[in-house]
Amino acid sequence: MKSFLENLHDTFIVDDRWKYLTNGLKTTLLITFFAVIIGMILGFIIAIIRASHDKTGKFKILNLFAKLYLTVIRGTPVMVQLLIIYYVIFASVNIDKVFVGILAFGLNSAAYVAEIVRSGIMSIDNGQFEAGTSLGMNYSKTMVYIIIPQAFKNVLPALANECIVLLKETSVAGYIALEDLTKGGDIIRSLTYEAFLPLIAVALIYLIMVVALSSLVSRLERRLAKSDRG
Amino acid sequence: MKKALTFISAALIMGTVLTGCGSAKENNTIHSADDLEGKTIGTQLGTTGYIFAGDIKDAKVEPYNKGADAIQALKQGKVDAVIIDSEPAKVFVDKNDDLQILSDPFAVEEYSIAYKKGNDELGKKLDEALEDLKKDGTLDDIVNNWISDSEETKSYEDNNDDVSAGTLIMATNAEFPPYESMDHNEIVGIDVDMMHAICDKLNMELKVENMEFDSIIAAVDSGKADVGVAGISVTPEREKNVSFTSGYATTTQVIITRKD
Repeated sequence: MKSFLENLHDTFIVDDRWKYLTNGLKTTLLITFFAVIIGMILGFIIAIIRASHDKTGKFKILNLFAKLYLTVIRGTPVMVQLLIIYYVIFASVNIDKVFVGILAFGLNSAAYVAEIVRSGIMSIDNGQFEAGTSLGMNYSKTMVYIIIPQAFKNVLPALANECIVLLKETSVAGYIALEDLTKGGDIIRSLTYEAFLPLIAVALIYLIMVVALSSLVSRLERRLAKSDRG
Repeated sequence: MKKALTFISAALIMGTVLTGCGSAKENNTIHSADDLEGKTIGTQLGTTGYIFAGDIKDAKVEPYNKGADAIQALKQGKVDAVIIDSEPAKVFVDKNDDLQILSDPFAVEEYSIAYKKGNDELGKKLDEALEDLKKDGTLDDIVNNWISDSEETKSYEDNNDDVSAGTLIMATNAEFPPYESMDHNEIVGIDVDMMHAICDKLNMELKVENMEFDSIIAAVDSGKADVGVAGISVTPEREKNVSFTSGYATTTQVIITRKD
């Protein structure tokens, strides 16, 4: 039986193996960051289309597309979507895998963000719309200046949760031989045949990221709550 | 009417997306092991091919979970070459007309059965049974049955119902034809037949567990499986964690590329 220190040395120090984890962490953060951006932008657009359709009956065709998109994306596992984008859609193109990852996780996240934001928009009382109209604002102005800011505050915890889920979901990126944090741990495991340390190290890094993210969000929530009355 | 139009336009968009991204598969530029420098090489994580590829100068090594995934990436032009064991390579190339095996063998290795360190009693029994199978020609018969195309070979048949000595759990990765692969929901192959023959000698019952290749050594080490048999070649790193029997097959690592 090898001692704990020897294990530690074998897992992280020999051949600079810790670099698998730091490089993997970089890839994970890169994918998550840009996927969140894509997810937020696309998600907000879809949510506004869907909510506007529900409220005014406009955007019939766009709404249909949005519904189809939500059904397909939410009805299939992200891992299968990732494999389809890599092996089917970009079948004969030699494309950067990080880009494939960003695209797959971004498109996936957009569907969930869209439904979260839509529920936020729908939760704002209709009186707010009428108030906007009675002040002479048109629909889009009311949406941007009155509804979205209130809706955003309401759905912030759910959006933060979606970011956290996305961060953890990127761990399946290894299936297209993308060297993310989880794969980095797997590579070390395949070299040392020791399961304990690489897996625990990977788990700890995810945990630290999630805790940091949560505390950031709760600070933002407190900051936004300052404008609340009472 | 509007609905129908929407669906038609949706179908058209999907069609262009799926076909429009075709084209531009790079030509093969690798004709010997020396050409691998600076290239992108697909391998299966945890195999010796992955370790060898890491030693090639400036090469970018992509660790896939399965050998077949690496082959698929090669076919699509995502990697320039795949380094893998010679027997699975033959099967992959047989099934894919657009691939070829380079004649330079990359490294010569021997496959062995892995067992838990310190379990010398089991190791001794395995070694003895293996020796018997080599002597009486059973092992050759099993290998020939899987490798040659001849009709005359026959598959190994269980000839001992005595399982008084208990169960032997074998960890393997059924993605590695002809040594082990899935056939009609059953794991079959040279390794499986060989272990059946060994278990018959030892009056044991064989139970096969399928897992990722890089989990096999860990499974044997932690006692979740008694033996690891999956075309595992002996490396110093692996010997730190498990013990190995004598070798049962000699094999080489080969380079697969697209055809010119």
